[in-house]
Amino acid sequence: MPLGGLIAISACIAVFTGIGAGISLGIATSKVAEGISRNPESSGRIMSVALVFATLAEVTAIFGFVIAIMLVGKI
Amino acid sequence: MGSDNVLQPNDIFTIHVFGADIPISDSIIMMWIIMALLIILSYIFTRNLKTVPEGKQNFTELIVDSINNIIKGNIGHHWRPFAPYFGTIFLFLVFANTASLFSVIPTGEQLYKITGMDFFEKLPEFALITPTKDLNVTAAMAIMTILLVVFSGIRYQGVLGWFKSFLKPSPVLLPFHILHYGTRAVSLSLRLFGNMLAGYIVVELLYEGTIFVKPIIPIASAFFDLVDALLQAYIFVFLSSVYISEAVE
Repeated sequence: MPLGGLIAISACIAVFTGIGAGISLGIATSKVAEGISRNPESSGRIMSVALVFATLAEVTAIFGFVIAIMLVGKI
Repeated sequence: MGSDNVLQPNDIFTIHVFGADIPISDSIIMMWIIMALLIILSYIFTRNLKTVPEGKQNFTELIVDSINNIIKGNIGHHWRPFAPYFGTIFLFLVFANTASLFSVIPTGEQLYKITGMDFFEKLPEFALITPTKDLNVTAAMAIMTILLVVFSGIRYQGVLGWFKSFLKPSPVLLPFHILHYGTRAVSLSLRLFGNMLAGYIVVELLYEGTIFVKPIIPIASAFFDLVDALLQAYIFVFLSSVYISEAVE
């Protein structure tokens, strides 16, 4: 049982990767809005580039989530 | 909810072919259903094509044109051979990710509770779940895309040119170029799988909640099963075409 509790706590710590992804997505989205409002005619190009890097930032949170799922399966 | 077997396929039955046992999971059955639906729909929608479109042909041309425009914008002038592949992947992912919206058919256990007949209790547990919340499905799709990246690189740059592209900026980057193929496959598959599984788990947790949580369920379900599902299908196709465009340049 103590080992199971430790595994649960480590799964919680793994989910904390979401903080980094959230902060980086917030910064990226604010810069995208700024860029589009300054230069509205290039909004399509900005959106497609932003989507690629937003998914790259998001995947760190996904990795943490998958690792947490794998840890919970070990209990 | 069975959190210990989320990463494992949920086997429904086993078929015996030439002495080998092939387990059939519920994701495979869902993929068969989606494949049959797509084949029937594509037959119905492409019948009696006319020069001046009308009715359902307008809708078909809208879908094909929008997929072609996404691929053309990302890949450039070699876009034509890749458009059918990405169209298939996109339509499959749209149907697969939104499949849990249609899970109105009761499972065997629910039918047993309602009717009390023993026949329903023996049915294997099967519900219309999204097949993309199974890691094996998304990993197979990501491997397909990475194989397409490798083959299109060889096809458009030649064998020698493709090997030279590993040494492009400087030979120091060779291990990172090789590693790049693996990490792209892992991130493609885990992104789709993680998003779908997270939506499923959140909605299932809300179903366990008290009466105050119940009004949130339709909103959460609409977000995870419609908005997030369509966005993830678009992102998978978009990122795959970006990888292809890097390979064919």
